[in-house]
Amino acid sequence: MKTYRWKRWITPYLLIIPAVVIMLVFVYIPVVENIYYSLFCWSSIDPTLKYIGLDNYARILNDKIIPIALRNNVLYALISVAFQVFFALILAAILESRVIRPRWGSIFRSAFFLPSVLAVTVVGITWQLIYSPNSGLINQFLRAIGLGNLAHAWLGEESTAIFAVIGVSQWQWVGYCMILFIVAIQAIPEELYEAARIDGASAMQQFFNITIPMIRETILVLTTITVIGGFKVFDIVWVMTAGGPNNASNTLGGYLYRVGFRNDEMGYASALATLLFVITFALTFIQLRIGRTGKES
Amino acid sequence: MEHSKTPFNVRMRRFYRVSLEGSINRLLVYLLFGILLVVAIYPLIWVFVNSFKTDIQLFDQSWALPKVWRYQNYQAAWNYGIARYILNSVIVTTISVVLVLGISMLAAYGLARFRFKGDTFLLFFILGGLMLAPEVSLIPLFRILSGLGLYNTYWAMILPNVAYGIPFTTFLIRSYMLGLPRDFEEAATIDGASIMGIFRHVVIPLCRPILASAALLEAMRVWNEFMFGLTFITSEKLKTIPVGLMAFSGALREQYTVIMAGIIISAVPMIVLFLATQRQFIRGLAAGGLRG
Repeated sequence: MKTYRWKRWITPYLLIIPAVVIMLVFVYIPVVENIYYSLFCWSSIDPTLKYIGLDNYARILNDKIIPIALRNNVLYALISVAFQVFFALILAAILESRVIRPRWGSIFRSAFFLPSVLAVTVVGITWQLIYSPNSGLINQFLRAIGLGNLAHAWLGEESTAIFAVIGVSQWQWVGYCMILFIVAIQAIPEELYEAARIDGASAMQQFFNITIPMIRETILVLTTITVIGGFKVFDIVWVMTAGGPNNASNTLGGYLYRVGFRNDEMGYASALATLLFVITFALTFIQLRIGRTGKES
Repeated sequence: MEHSKTPFNVRMRRFYRVSLEGSINRLLVYLLFGILLVVAIYPLIWVFVNSFKTDIQLFDQSWALPKVWRYQNYQAAWNYGIARYILNSVIVTTISVVLVLGISMLAAYGLARFRFKGDTFLLFFILGGLMLAPEVSLIPLFRILSGLGLYNTYWAMILPNVAYGIPFTTFLIRSYMLGLPRDFEEAATIDGASIMGIFRHVVIPLCRPILASAALLEAMRVWNEFMFGLTFITSEKLKTIPVGLMAFSGALREQYTVIMAGIIISAVPMIVLFLATQRQFIRGLAAGGLRG
């Protein structure tokens, strides 16, 4: 009996230890180490750490690329919220209403979701070809309908590059967010809608007075995830423009990668990563606070 | 009975107004969704159709169907290295998914079925990983992997992928286990089964549906993972599809139609997997709710 008790005591720890060890070594220790490394000047060629205090952080304040990158991150976050939260929610509500026949509904759902299963490079290179100045689909289309003067070298011009990249992200993720909303809407008890219909509520009234309040939590969480995503975006920017031309489409993530692994200034890149950590952490904290006050009321 | 009091002509007028408005609305909705359908799907169809052309045809008339379907583009893309990238992706994805599922299943069982000192802390410790951006750990990971001699090996992709996959998968499986009745486990305990015996013969079989969903979501995440592969792999021989495709298109620069063939080859496995397993997929998303 004693051995059984001992076993019963030790078992949960043994079950959890592999997960804890892996996460400690590859998630938590790196995050802490990152702050430490940001206090040094070092590179991958010369990995000896030379202590320079907060110099890397002072450099952030004077770096002219930082404001451009942060502006692009903000644009990315705002446009993504407009499409992946508001627009996706409207699409989900329409698909779950009776306007669309179920047969077509499932076709639309699958088709809109499809881009989100593709690798970021598949998406990025496909759209590079679509944006391409001469053979690309968009400029060919504009010329075909007589709007040739609107044609741009979308990814090659400083004024359009970041918007071209953000647009591709919306193309890839709106359907994914729509599905998350659909799942949330399906969990709302049908009786609520029946009662509203008996009282003569219109589809609009049902949407604003039942759907939105009932999936409030999903909207909130998805909004924060989207905003955080806008600040940590790296892959699609790197694949499509690598931050160019002339850093016009750079983001914090892209710039940190360039500084670290192209310019080999690891210390400064660590400081940039710390900045990214602080921003995402603050956003998560705000979300948790809002979520909690929502539950109390 | 109520409406029989209203005169017939009023009833008819109402009926027609409502149904006319309804059908105009319906038409507009279908129009909007039709346009969105084209926007969502046409880019891939455009790439697919043009992947069978010569480059000259692509420039001349990228809307038209190819006059001759050139399968050579696919052969060229395959031989140029796409085959190797696919093999690497299969290896990295398989090992990562097996490890994530195995480790997360054990952790989820521990967290869902035992009360012990520090259980809340360990739960938050594991789920806390959901809030951390992998970008933040990139530079220290580079040092750690170099120090362990794992830089530029499959493990340089597998281990970080596993670490960042555990929180969500554990969360998914744990929630599912909490919803399972304990009757079978209790019966097995009374019959004298050991803890691990119960885990293997009772808990795992009951969890099969969520394990399938979790495996799918993980497979897709790892298959599409880009940043670790880009940062920790330098050898062409080890690159996975997402990273390899970038090198591939960089090297082929002007041969657009071969690049397009490469894109299609890379996209097909995930599209097929998704279309074949939509139901498990959506169930996973529904159970997990949201992920970062």
